[in-house]
Amino acid sequence: MTFRLLLATALVLTLPAAAHHSFAIYDMDENIVFDGVVETLKMRNPHMALTLTVTQDDGTTGTINFAEGAPANMIVRMGLNPADIAPGMHIKAIGAPRRDDPHTYFLKAIILPDGRKYSVIN
Amino acid sequence: MIRSVLSRVAFGILAAAALAPYVAAAQHPDFSGLWFPAGRTQDPQRAPYTPAAQAAADEYAKAFTLDDDPGRYCIWPGMPRAVWGAPFTVEIQQRPQDFTIFWEGYGMYRKIYMADHNPPQPILPSAMGHSVAHWDGDALVVETSNLKPYPYMTRLATSSDAHVVERLHLEEREVNGRKGKYLVNEVVLTDPKVYTTPIKITATLQQRTDLQLLEYTCTDTLWDDYLSERGLTLPDIDSFPAPGAAR
Repeated sequence: MTFRLLLATALVLTLPAAAHHSFAIYDMDENIVFDGVVETLKMRNPHMALTLTVTQDDGTTGTINFAEGAPANMIVRMGLNPADIAPGMHIKAIGAPRRDDPHTYFLKAIILPDGRKYSVIN
Repeated sequence: MIRSVLSRVAFGILAAAALAPYVAAAQHPDFSGLWFPAGRTQDPQRAPYTPAAQAAADEYAKAFTLDDDPGRYCIWPGMPRAVWGAPFTVEIQQRPQDFTIFWEGYGMYRKIYMADHNPPQPILPSAMGHSVAHWDGDALVVETSNLKPYPYMTRLATSSDAHVVERLHLEEREVNGRKGKYLVNEVVLTDPKVYTTPIKITATLQQRTDLQLLEYTCTDTLWDDYLSERGLTLPDIDSFPAPGAAR
């Protein structure tokens, strides 16, 4: 898959203890990095969501759907300013693909251009 | 002169009457403020189901997947599950006559009425039930009943007969070299239809004055899903031109 860049660095991630549903539909062992521009953003609870426009090597673009991630309240409490990931902003996002739909991802982490990283699974 | 003395006496009486509730309240520990869940223990760890509850749990395990969870549909965990809660801020407001607890997670709230302040009678069974409390020294003892059934067998299910007794007290602790205030809640859940023995849970909140209570609207995703099923698109209201903006 052209969009994918396998993450080299190891991430220490654990699912929130109080998660209200299973994340078994996602392959949480995967840490796939996407580099793109935020297209839509839903800063909501119980799970934030965003779509990312990613440009392939041949210049064509595609949309990556991060259907759910951490609760918005949790990630802003970590220090993420929603203005830094507003539509039009350039970010990296780390995802775990759905097992039955490899085009849909769980949003595991957000990395801002200055390197600040917010792991949305703690 | 006499008028002056009388007015001073009257002022003193009025002032004392106005301050009385606060003086009384000051005699008890102050639980008010912002808190954050800081762990819990449960004994026994494995639910001591009655035969009927065990059969229901077995059937539940066959039919319900981990995704068939009431939390996904914004069903309040209610009592006693709210006590250990989700990793979100909790705010407690304390008055002589009652406590009001707000949980950021699920946007839950709960009233605890003081027994010596003429508490209201319960009206409808509810997720938080009807809670009446009294002070036992520095501990607040809260009894809760009138709970509506919570038949989710993987989530510490409770029936209408459930009865919860809590004993809350403050502790100063030093954790990782940092001193802090903790609110310890020793919970005993009794529900003879579901459990053969009482279940004891100790849940702790840490005082966190650095936090604030954020809004947590749980139903946005459900609404989006409904609109999608209906093929409806909401207007992009933020894209409307502001008055005076260039057209």
